[in-house]
Amino acid sequence: MINIKDLEKIYRTEEVETIALNKLTLEVKEGEFVAIMGPSGCGKSTLLNILGLLDDPDSGSFIFNNIEVAHFNERKRADLRKHNIGFVFQSFNLIDELTVFENVELPLIYTGVKAAERKKKVEEVLDKVQIMHRRNHYPQQLSGGQQQRVAVARAVVNNPKLILADEPTGNLDSSNGNEVMQLLTELNEQGTTIVMVTHSEHDARYSHRIIRMLDGQTVTQNILI
Amino acid sequence: MIKNYIKIAWRNLKRNKAYAMINITGLSLSMACGLLIFTLVSYHFSFDDFHPGRDRIYRIVTEIHNENISHTPGVPPPFAKAFRRDFTFADKTARAVTFGNELISIPSSPDNKKFVEESGVACVEPDFFDIFNFPLVQGDKKTALSAAQSALVTEHIAKKYFGTVNAIGKVIRVDNKTDFTITGILQDIPLNTDRKSEIYVSDLSMKDLSEQVANDNAWGDISSETHCFIRLKPGIGPATVEAAFDGMKKKYYANRPGSQKALVFKLQPLSDVHFNPDYNGYADKKYLWALALIGVFLIVTACVNFINLATAQAINRSREVGIRKVLGSLRSQLFWQFIVETALITLFALVVAFGLAQLGLPFINSLFKTELTLHLLGNQLLLLCMLLVFLFVVFLSGSYPGLVLSGFQPVLALKGKLSQKNLGGFSLRRLLVVAQFAISQILIIGTIVIASQMHYSKTSDLGFRKDGIVLLPVPISDSAGRTRMETLRNRLASVSGVENVSFCSQAPASDANNKMDITFGNRPKPELWSVNIKCSDQDYLKVFNLKLAAGRNLSRSDTLREFLVNETFVKKLNLSSPEEVINKTATINGKKALIVGVVRDFYNYSFRDEVDPVALFSSYPQYQQCAIQCSLLHAKPALASFEKIWNETYPEYVYSFQFLDQAIARFYELDDIMLQLI
Ligand SMILES: Nc1ncnc2c1ncn2[C@@H]1O[C@H](COP(=O)(O)OP(=O)(O)OP(=O)(O)O)[C@@H](O)[C@H]1O
Ligand SMILES: [Mg+2]
Repeated sequence: MINIKDLEKIYRTEEVETIALNKLTLEVKEGEFVAIMGPSGCGKSTLLNILGLLDDPDSGSFIFNNIEVAHFNERKRADLRKHNIGFVFQSFNLIDELTVFENVELPLIYTGVKAAERKKKVEEVLDKVQIMHRRNHYPQQLSGGQQQRVAVARAVVNNPKLILADEPTGNLDSSNGNEVMQLLTELNEQGTTIVMVTHSEHDARYSHRIIRMLDGQTVTQNILI
Repeated sequence: MIKNYIKIAWRNLKRNKAYAMINITGLSLSMACGLLIFTLVSYHFSFDDFHPGRDRIYRIVTEIHNENISHTPGVPPPFAKAFRRDFTFADKTARAVTFGNELISIPSSPDNKKFVEESGVACVEPDFFDIFNFPLVQGDKKTALSAAQSALVTEHIAKKYFGTVNAIGKVIRVDNKTDFTITGILQDIPLNTDRKSEIYVSDLSMKDLSEQVANDNAWGDISSETHCFIRLKPGIGPATVEAAFDGMKKKYYANRPGSQKALVFKLQPLSDVHFNPDYNGYADKKYLWALALIGVFLIVTACVNFINLATAQAINRSREVGIRKVLGSLRSQLFWQFIVETALITLFALVVAFGLAQLGLPFINSLFKTELTLHLLGNQLLLLCMLLVFLFVVFLSGSYPGLVLSGFQPVLALKGKLSQKNLGGFSLRRLLVVAQFAISQILIIGTIVIASQMHYSKTSDLGFRKDGIVLLPVPISDSAGRTRMETLRNRLASVSGVENVSFCSQAPASDANNKMDITFGNRPKPELWSVNIKCSDQDYLKVFNLKLAAGRNLSRSDTLREFLVNETFVKKLNLSSPEEVINKTATINGKKALIVGVVRDFYNYSFRDEVDPVALFSSYPQYQQCAIQCSLLHAKPALASFEKIWNETYPEYVYSFQFLDQAIARFYELDDIMLQLI
């Protein structure tokens, strides 16, 4: 599903030039659950953003579902993203002005799903993450764990093939964190490919394969199953 | 999608109440001003736009080419008749002479009701109602004015005088002299016309109203109220007509070569009448455009303000933008979201502005003496304009913040790493602030300029006394009125506080000016310029504190015996010193007499205009005003005594009085209005 070769990403500011990704090569197959680990600043988030088509690489090739997407323009990337990729962030990133229901509904609005079907789909996923009873609350009225469950619901409501999670448990205590990891595992079992960045060895064990990074390159891969 | 935009816009506004309030207040204030200005400007531009064939309607006006050019909207009284007789350019021609402030009485009413109509009585030829679209609700316009002593009045006047619109056959008396029978009722005259008269009488009765105007040979006499309106046949241009006037002048001014050269008759399009200050147009287009520009400025400034606030707010919205982008929103979708938000604020502001404008309208109406109304329904132009302003404001103030926000990099936006720098046009915003500042400066400087001009005109020396002078009308000045005038003078002079009393045709500065041909001494031909005549008694100089430059004052006389002239008069004769005219003769309007004195120049219109050559002489039939100089300390009781004395002297007339300084202030009315507006 994902095939990356010699990917480079360099951040230039006035004083310094940071090589965030240095000729990185990576392959993720459909249905896999991959964890990415490594010290702070080694380029994990940068990689995830490129995988999620939020950022573009400076050079190298990125083949997603057999299509070269490294140099897609904004419109094409947005299109590919909204139909195929869901995101879960460390800081939840829910919109405060919208209710739980409306937050989860948002991706469906952008993919042009009709209102009646939207309602059905949103209720379905809210049920799945057990937050249905809070559907009309605003994010601030929820606990961190609940908020992250809403974020997961939003990520999957469009049935994406790929879920990218950047330290999804980073802001949660261990029991809430486990709940979220449980959710991701379930999704993976239903066929969704998951790429997750984490600092926690415990969380990494939920995955099939751990990729370790250092200075913008992959160093080792542990196959867990 | 749009529902989602509106929803989030609404919630955002609720969350940021202060922000919304500031924006809505700022926008609505300036839009309210814009609305009022629009109403006012469009009102003026709608003047006389309801007459069919209005592109072919012209007023014939006169330019008087002496050393400099002066203008009058009038023509000689026989002009209309001659034009109709001599030319076939027009399919309709009508003379229309307006007599202002006429006294109207109702002979049939038991208490002999009296009225003074400010809009005057218009004496018109029947074609007038073919040229102008003032429909009759009763009577037939073809025949209504075809007999002498017939009159048309509006429904409003009919109700006022007789309590019913069915006033056909009733009689009104004009100036206590002439009776007119009402033969038709006009629909009320719309506000947006310069033809204000509500009473029209047949031109065949002209000699009863004014011998002078009725005189078919009075080619040398041009009054600003004697108008000639024509409607040209299709296909004939004004230039063709003006070219033909040369022959006309040769014919009617054969023995007056001076006038032949000096007078230039022109066709003034109807669309110019309301605006041309040369011909007493009310609203100078310059001012109207300036006003419109101020309106646009105000709205643009509010938009600039909006942009600044919205862009400053953008930082707080960056996370939302980031999330939406991650979820697949296109840049254009985000852009529209912000436009919708702006539209919502603008819509609010527009509603508030409409309310404010309604509140402000009475103020505007009293300022401009108009009766404007602001109705949304039925005023398509207003609706269209509001829509345009709405779109203009929304796109002007929404697109910049929209572009900035929608251009955020999602990753950066999410990380909250955006700073002022990412708002891109920091320099642009600075530019906007500068622009806003500049616009306010322009408005402030403009205000100061107008204010100082006003101050100058109010305090500048016009060359004569204008404080503490009360003007009373003299309704009858023929031989029968002569004794009453003397009674009035004696009784007024005995009122405590009164210092001097003078009878005159008008105050030194007045908008009623009367110009005549002049021949000096034994010069063979009349001068190329004409002289402004003012009739007055021997106390005129004392009342108005006019100073003599040479010679002596007029001696007591009832009729023309000698002339006083001003310094400009001497200059116009190319004489170097005032002494040179003393004891020389002058022939003015065919009357020959000695010049006995020269008065120092005074402004005879406003200080904006040049000083005319002036001749003063006694002639009681011309006296229309009684000027009383009284000490301001006694003004209140004195005014009451004036009224009592006047009413006892002229029981059959309506009393009114005016302070001279107020009358003069009227010349500067428009300046004043501009000042108050800004
Ligand atoms: N917008 C940017 N501008 C400049 N440098 C950047 C930018 N984003 C990231 N970097 C740099 O690129 C490198 C990789 O950053 P990245 O965020 O991918 O690290 P990370 O592995 O996710 O670290 P962490 O575990 O702390 O999240 C870092 O050195 C970081 O400072
Ligand atoms: Mg990171």
